[in-house]
Amino acid sequence: MTNTSSTLQVRKTPFQYLSLLGNLVSRELKKKHRRSILGYVWCVLNPLLVMLIMNMVFSHMFRNNIENYPVYLFVGRTIFSFITDSTNSTSRSIIGNGALMRKTKIPYYIFPTATFLSSVVNYLFSLIAFIIVLLLTNTPVTIHAIAFPLVMLQLFVFSYGLGLLLSQLNTFARDVGQIYTVFTTAWMYLTPLFYPLENLPDFLQNIIKTCNPAYVYIQQGRLIFLGNTWPTGDLILQGSIFALVFLGLGILAYHKCNKKLILYV
Amino acid sequence: MSEPIIIVKDASVRFNLAKQQQNSLSSYLKRLLRHELLFQEFFALKDINLTINAGESWGFVGRNGSGKSTMLKLITGILAPYTGSVEVHGSIAPLLELGAGFDSELTGRENIYMNGLILGMSKKEITEKFDEIVAFAELEEFLDVPIKNYSSGMKARLGFAIATCSTPDILIADEVLSTGDRAFRTKCEQRMQDMLSTGSTTLLYVSHQPNSVRKLCTHAMWLDGGHVKMIGTSEEVCDAYEESTKV
Repeated sequence: MTNTSSTLQVRKTPFQYLSLLGNLVSRELKKKHRRSILGYVWCVLNPLLVMLIMNMVFSHMFRNNIENYPVYLFVGRTIFSFITDSTNSTSRSIIGNGALMRKTKIPYYIFPTATFLSSVVNYLFSLIAFIIVLLLTNTPVTIHAIAFPLVMLQLFVFSYGLGLLLSQLNTFARDVGQIYTVFTTAWMYLTPLFYPLENLPDFLQNIIKTCNPAYVYIQQGRLIFLGNTWPTGDLILQGSIFALVFLGLGILAYHKCNKKLILYV
Repeated sequence: MSEPIIIVKDASVRFNLAKQQQNSLSSYLKRLLRHELLFQEFFALKDINLTINAGESWGFVGRNGSGKSTMLKLITGILAPYTGSVEVHGSIAPLLELGAGFDSELTGRENIYMNGLILGMSKKEITEKFDEIVAFAELEEFLDVPIKNYSSGMKARLGFAIATCSTPDILIADEVLSTGDRAFRTKCEQRMQDMLSTGSTTLLYVSHQPNSVRKLCTHAMWLDGGHVKMIGTSEEVCDAYEESTKV
């Protein structure tokens, strides 16, 4: 039956949720920066200040082993903190919007997606900080930098998939969020952010190289900006596999949980 | 009068009580073994059959916890039927608790857009109707104030104005008029009646005031403990319901 008098659309495809999605993203950003004096400047200032501190603390330890330590540190830290920040906030997004979910019919994947996209916007702002670091350290930027969006793409798909998966699991059992914070701490120490990978014993190096997606993305970034080369095909392949596997898991979970999840919100 | 717009067949809704009590380690383990730690089954509705034709208006009456709101959530599609089926043709404006989609940190202006988009309006349409919404809600002065500083009546007014500014095929109203003042309640009832009189809007209405149901609805359903106790014209059902609640 068609009813032409209605001005409300019956939404069936994800595209019809685009403007709602955009509004939810801008809501997250607005709320994050509302009532702060510097507002969006913090997106740039925060990574710069953290970088400064880490540089002061660690540069003496590893100065001899690593060339251009500030950039080494910055590439590692921004990529890793994007993964943890985006997945952490995404993992709470369904629970956080529970009140809305109980009252309106919106496919719930909108919420993790919006939260994730707002993390992406914050990350893009932090790239301004990255440019500042590159300038301050007089790091030459070569043509290879055009490969960086490809690294970001892998990074985003991976983090979105992981975040989507976590947000659903976390709704069924809030324990997931608790475990995940412990897990990310371990993950951080097992990612060569501020130390060189070569400092670790061989077996650990191998584990990190094969199983740690964060390392795969960071390594590609470092090849581009410190090695001034293209990221290797192996790394791109490995990074893409991680990304697609986690995206697949996130979507699979959605298809499994779609109807049941509301009962646990 | 016309074709059915909502068809509910043998529908039951299972609900998670999410009980919290954990008195002892042994009861915790028992519940863990029975897989009842995070899910305790409860049937909020059982074997409901209901067919609603376009243009009808239905009232739902019953005691607290009888399944009225669950019924509306089932039709809206927020809750999926555990058994049976629900078929809905047309767009729904769900007004389950006015202002449910509001974000308390955002301003009235921002919430109008957010809420409109949630309901399924387009940005352009919201901009067109913006002034009308604000005028109906009588909130001109408070547009840029965060909703958290609104009174509950102000929120209800804004929620009602947004949901009714577009013409949905199905308008769902769950005790929406309980917070507004008398003048606003009259205004809202008037608007709902206007929408009904066009004949294209179907109203589903939950209220604890049988008089309000009589005024707005043609048909009514009386729910009790998740079962249908009575179904018929709003007069019949409201009379019987009022009779039963007399002490």
